[in-house]
Amino acid sequence: MQPMTDKRSNSDKLALLSDCLARVAHQRDKAAFGQLFDHYAPLIRAYSLARDPGASLVADDLVQEVMTRVWLKAEKYNGKLANLNTWIFTLARNCRIDYLRRNSRYATEIDPTDIFNDIEDEGPGPFQQAQQSRAESNIREGLKQLPPEQSEILTKVYLEGKSHQQASDELQLPLGTVKSRVRLALKKLEVLVVR
Amino acid sequence: MEKSAKHPQDELLAAYSAGSLPLSQALCVSAHIEHCSDCARKLQRLNRVGSELMHRLPPAPPSEDLKNRLFERLDSLSEDDSEAVTSQPASSIPRCLRQFIPGDYAALPWRRVSGDIHSVELCRDFNGARVELLKIKPGGSAYTHTHLGDEYTVILEGAFSDESGLYAEGDFLLRDHKDRHTPVATRDRECICLAVTEGPVQFTGFFSRLLNPMLRRDFA
Repeated sequence: MQPMTDKRSNSDKLALLSDCLARVAHQRDKAAFGQLFDHYAPLIRAYSLARDPGASLVADDLVQEVMTRVWLKAEKYNGKLANLNTWIFTLARNCRIDYLRRNSRYATEIDPTDIFNDIEDEGPGPFQQAQQSRAESNIREGLKQLPPEQSEILTKVYLEGKSHQQASDELQLPLGTVKSRVRLALKKLEVLVVR
Repeated sequence: MEKSAKHPQDELLAAYSAGSLPLSQALCVSAHIEHCSDCARKLQRLNRVGSELMHRLPPAPPSEDLKNRLFERLDSLSEDDSEAVTSQPASSIPRCLRQFIPGDYAALPWRRVSGDIHSVELCRDFNGARVELLKIKPGGSAYTHTHLGDEYTVILEGAFSDESGLYAEGDFLLRDHKDRHTPVATRDRECICLAVTEGPVQFTGFFSRLLNPMLRRDFA
């Protein structure tokens, strides 16, 4: 178990950052934006480098792209739907998808904007939100307790952006095993419980 | 078939959340989620998983220069129009498909496939997967067919049944190459589906087998 103080400092930090975002949204506060940049830019770069190790310029581009959206979309952020960390993750993911479809062998004419954005901006109805935050608080603790082979597979899929087939090739595991490890991991994290 | 058969499998939803799903498949998941609050809730938690994983990475600080360059641009930044969603509040067309369907379904250039079916291709994905709409007339049948790859289907209007059950608006189906199925639209109205196929469809009836060489050529 994580000591209580640590947990507290995590949520204090998040509250502080959420406050910065509010100041960006309502007052166009550049100092607050600077604090957001200092906290999130290293994480966004790390996220990019997890998929493309060594591609420092790609990582910088992603930071620029995501932080630009934070500046522009701060007003649209709805803290009831996702906490700020999760919102930043979805922005980083969306920017990465967009980058890939423009610049690589994954090129396609399908525009991802409407595939992801609206769904997450609106999300489920308000009556579901109360249960939401309770379920979410278990996820961080749960991740720490996952067996290594299960957290490895989540890392491949979420951070390295691997398809199940690519993960199966790299880990030399049958495709079915990859899928069932993903399922098992999510089950342990109680991500799939519909209340 | 398991009970979850009308929803994307959990690992598929996770891949969607992770952004590691081909966009053609992501279209199907997105169209389903718009109809399904259970999957929408799962998705929020899955996104949270991604966020927690991201926060466990060793931070990779950028150069001071990167920050300065961004700050210099801040004042000149303005919301670009690409974010402006075509607002069609009354439309029943899933938002993710409006990029291909400017008006309504009827206005699309439907092509006759058989007496019962019309289709219109919306686009192809990078992996060659074909994204199309299928329209089955009331009571019409889509023949018995199998696929060389997986087929993802979301019902957009109407309903159909096949060997494994009855599927209605918003339902999501995944059929792999081993599954043979014969969707039949209900008699009360026509059925419109979004279908993403990773390989050419194979019709398995005696007569329709003659169609296969043509379909394959069409796919290439």
